[in-house]
Amino acid sequence: METLNELLGGFATAMTWQNLLFAFLGCLLGTIIGVLPGVGPVAGVALLIPLTLNLDPAGSIIMLCAIFYGTQYGGTITSVLLNTPGEASSAITTIDGYAMTKMGRAGAALTLAAVGSFIGGTIATVGLVAAAKPLGEMGLLVGPPEFFALMVVGISLLVALAGKSMVKALISGALGLLISMVGIDPVAGAPRFTFGIDNLMDGVSFVAVIVGVFGLSEILSFRRNEPTPMVHAPGFRQLFPSRTEWRRSAPAMARGTGVGFGLGLIPGMTGSVSSLLSYATEKRFSRFRHQLGKGAVEGVAGPETANNAHANAALIPLFTLGIPASPTIAVLMGAFLQQGLTPGPSLFTEHSEIAWAIIASLFIGNVLLLLLNVPLVGLWTSILRVPTPILTAVILVFMVIGAYTINFSVFDVYVMIGFGLLGLALRNLDIPLAPMVLTLVLGPLMERSLRESLEISQGDFTVFTSRPISAVLIGLGLLIICSPLLKLRKPRALMEDPEA
Amino acid sequence: MTTESVTTKAGSTVRIAPGVLAGIGAFAAVGIYVLVSSATLGLWTSLGPGAGMFPFAMGALLVAMSAVWLLQELRRPSVRGEGVDKGVVISVVASLVILASVMDLLGFQLSMFAFLLYHLKIRGRRAWVPSLIIALAGSVGAFYAFNYGLNVALPVSAFTPLNLIGL
Repeated sequence: METLNELLGGFATAMTWQNLLFAFLGCLLGTIIGVLPGVGPVAGVALLIPLTLNLDPAGSIIMLCAIFYGTQYGGTITSVLLNTPGEASSAITTIDGYAMTKMGRAGAALTLAAVGSFIGGTIATVGLVAAAKPLGEMGLLVGPPEFFALMVVGISLLVALAGKSMVKALISGALGLLISMVGIDPVAGAPRFTFGIDNLMDGVSFVAVIVGVFGLSEILSFRRNEPTPMVHAPGFRQLFPSRTEWRRSAPAMARGTGVGFGLGLIPGMTGSVSSLLSYATEKRFSRFRHQLGKGAVEGVAGPETANNAHANAALIPLFTLGIPASPTIAVLMGAFLQQGLTPGPSLFTEHSEIAWAIIASLFIGNVLLLLLNVPLVGLWTSILRVPTPILTAVILVFMVIGAYTINFSVFDVYVMIGFGLLGLALRNLDIPLAPMVLTLVLGPLMERSLRESLEISQGDFTVFTSRPISAVLIGLGLLIICSPLLKLRKPRALMEDPEA
Repeated sequence: MTTESVTTKAGSTVRIAPGVLAGIGAFAAVGIYVLVSSATLGLWTSLGPGAGMFPFAMGALLVAMSAVWLLQELRRPSVRGEGVDKGVVISVVASLVILASVMDLLGFQLSMFAFLLYHLKIRGRRAWVPSLIIALAGSVGAFYAFNYGLNVALPVSAFTPLNLIGL
């Protein structure tokens, strides 16, 4: 009852016209980012942070959350119409989505994807409402050793699932942790890796790093004279699925919700993993599994429901434990911190009104996205007709503004350029970028909890193994990292996770 | 859009690509630098871990993983993909560096206008009219939208004459 009252209070805040406008703008921008191939949700959310700099904390986070799950909706459009995923978690949708387009059922595929996304997102948000309070209270009991161990598990999972080589994923993770250590050491007050540059005393701006590594490096890897895709939006009448398609989609959506919600709770799992496993689930359990790959509605409804359920469920570890479950959530966490909000158990005690307003806005955002996505499919596809040089130039403007306005310093623009080149090098060496982002945000928290743990135990490392929860988690982390040695292979589908 | 390397078949006699070798060398060098710097920061204090302990561990991990990667490459070298379009990289990076270096002097509007015009008209070979419209929107339009719409201050020119005319 108390939770319901708090949620209703959250709705009262989220339903003010300003916050509704922020949610609407966020959904709009998120969908655009999702539609544009090349600008993923990580860089997209990061480069739009400056738009929210001077908003109040609730409005700012509402808008950024809307951008985040807007990308999940938008990515579907290009997957279905162009056979090109707008973002990684929609990659698997291309198989049956594009096959449906060739069969003249593009409109039905887009509607089923949007409805599935709405259902998955809404159910996951209900889960967040139910879990927020109890998990938050449980989170208050977590000490530094358990917190450190939990982060070890999260990073281990991401490293294990990122790309084809765990060695390269570990290099990426180590780089992120090292970058996060630049600046003044929080305990001893000594400068670390600042090379005598004053601008580095406060550390490297994570927005500049992320925009460089994810956004600019993608633009640098464009090839000259890339053709503008030819795309035809389905007409309004073609948007309605048949009764059979609805009936066949329902169980796929149910399964997708379960898969996405379950995996969203696990730190280190990305939306791509959810959609891939949802597809694998359909291959195993669908009555029409033989049609998968040839334009089966289950191949669209399942993964699209799963990635949105995942996106919303991934906010649960962030809200309750302060742990980002994926690279995009890590960027969101950075935005929380910039607004003076510390995600985690204290969020519900110190900023209860803001926390519940954000949760309420997730429901509103899902409704807005459903209304925006299906009828306006023609508008979204028109973005794809914009020539590449114009799109590139416009994106570069936002990147420069995004990097500059974090500290109002040109130095951060140079940082962005430098990390853009680093990102390009990493891409060419096949090094996954996702672990780097997660460790970049988690680095300071991880180091702090490690040092606090060792100070409590007076330097005794057994503090991590003598406490049952942290011992289990550390063991799990080691098992994940050592899985290649133990010949524990991940599913073949995950080898190609493009989000990594 | 991005290039990817593909692993060669076992037993193939392909040498390690110079780019891969350079990458491994660079990571190992960074790792060694971090190890040395961390040691000078202090690994342990009377209270517990020092400022250098965590970076030291990461430096060690970086060096170890570089060594493992080198061994993997020696056993089974990877074939490089298409590589990057150097023209795109040089033009985008150089234009961004020039933009960053003049932004505080000329102000956001003028420097961004020139930057966009270069990317649209010269690099993108778009027609004059759309190039000018987009360049104006992305520079002057963005400046006013951020400064007055969002209260986010973008830089104005350090030159008084330009400043006086609102640039």
